[in-house]
Amino acid sequence: MEAVSIEKAPSRIGENPEQRVLRALAESFPKTVSDGARLRPGLVRAKVDRSDIFRVCRVLKDNLGFEHLTMISAVEYDDRFEIVYHIASYQSKLLLELISTTPKDDPTVDSISSIWGGANWQERESYDLMGIVFRSHPKLERILLPKDVLYHPLRKDFKG
Amino acid sequence: MAEMWINMGPQHPMTHGLWNLRVKVDGETIVDAEPEVGYLHRGIEKICEGLTYPQIIPITDRLCYGSSLTWSHLYCQSVEDLMGVEVPERAEYIRVMAIEMQRIASHLMWLAAYAGDLGMSVGFTYTMRDREVFVDLLQALTGSRLTYNYPRIGGVAHDLPPNFDRDSIRAVDYMEGRLKEYEDLFEGSKIFMMRNVGIGLLRKEDALNLGVTGPSLRASGVSYDLRKDMPYSVYPEMDFEVATLDDGDCYARYRVRMDEMWESCKIVRQALQKMPKGRWRMVSPRNAPAGTGLGRVEDPRGEAVMYVVGDGSDKPYRLKIRSPIFVTVSAAPKILVGYKLADVVAIMGGLDMCIGENDR
Repeated sequence: MEAVSIEKAPSRIGENPEQRVLRALAESFPKTVSDGARLRPGLVRAKVDRSDIFRVCRVLKDNLGFEHLTMISAVEYDDRFEIVYHIASYQSKLLLELISTTPKDDPTVDSISSIWGGANWQERESYDLMGIVFRSHPKLERILLPKDVLYHPLRKDFKG
Repeated sequence: MAEMWINMGPQHPMTHGLWNLRVKVDGETIVDAEPEVGYLHRGIEKICEGLTYPQIIPITDRLCYGSSLTWSHLYCQSVEDLMGVEVPERAEYIRVMAIEMQRIASHLMWLAAYAGDLGMSVGFTYTMRDREVFVDLLQALTGSRLTYNYPRIGGVAHDLPPNFDRDSIRAVDYMEGRLKEYEDLFEGSKIFMMRNVGIGLLRKEDALNLGVTGPSLRASGVSYDLRKDMPYSVYPEMDFEVATLDDGDCYARYRVRMDEMWESCKIVRQALQKMPKGRWRMVSPRNAPAGTGLGRVEDPRGEAVMYVVGDGSDKPYRLKIRSPIFVTVSAAPKILVGYKLADVVAIMGGLDMCIGENDR
């Protein structure tokens, strides 16, 4: 894995924390981070290509002060899976909604549990209930359902 | 000595619900631990996909029997965000007041269970008796004692009942007197202190990394409370302190919750005092637009989040629930390793486990 090399993003004059995060992300990952928007004060949304999710999260934690992974949700649409990461910064009082998309026939994405330990169980939950495979997760096993279950109940084609 | 795995649960008096803590011991010392959850999984997220938006409110009450009002409030808040519904100011004040009463009741139930765990039957009976005061108040307000079904999308179900202000102030006055007595009772007990002080150390870095939130995080020295730092509802109008301690042990977690009860009493008083007259409920649309809504509140156990995806119909396309204790309990191995088997009860009890929201 190549080392991430961006400077700590300094604030510019007249820039609010939301703009600073969006600018730092756009500058460091011009090809893979897109559609940055400020939804309301304290809430920012951006889309990220799934190939770069690990490096983006590494930069978010190490350089931009996002020390808390709040939630990982997986949503199934007709043509894709969306994996939504909510990542919070305690210092700058921000919540970042990072959306990553995978195709229906290949629901895999890199695990970020080595960055935030709190992601470990949440990734297992998404695997258990939605069937998203997190690559290089330390222990990707079912957590809420018994181990011998053959289905992923939150998929839309599962009908009880 | 040979190491071995011991199952504490699913039917162990410590667990307060169905879950299993596997601990690996070397003699009396814990060398590894692994919580096993999922015994109470009811598929609430899947059930919600088949119900209309108002029908889900009573389901979200079932997430946690200890603080059901917080969860239905969180659900309504996230759906209001999705639908763009404005909530009348009076309803916001009623909600904040009710949530804080719920927080006191929830912490008292935790304290009762904790006292029972540590062998103080007196602590159990006292706190359960005083929890009754707030449960009675919430019954007068909502009509039920455990699962309230009170918030609505766009407000609350009914206005305050007659003389509710007077009764609430009396209850809060009574509670503040009782809290002093609890502090004397618990902190004056040598056994309670021996089983708490310096036990179950959770360092600040570990708490942050492992996603621990709520009182357990604040007991590890991170002053972060969503009511203060990302304020929602009418919390910006309220004057209160965020209870924080640096020690990170079981005693600090106990102390933070005690301090939170003091602060909650203050908030209930202020909410009653500042509550304006007016409507308490707005008409909400039947269908939600396509899009997403996000609610994020400070539950008695930590940071609770709901992420709701609408598709233009009257049912949510997806409802994702973040349970604070689900993430906190995954940090249990980090806290337990190195302590004795007899400390497990104090450490896990101090995290305030709630299986309903954990397994969903």
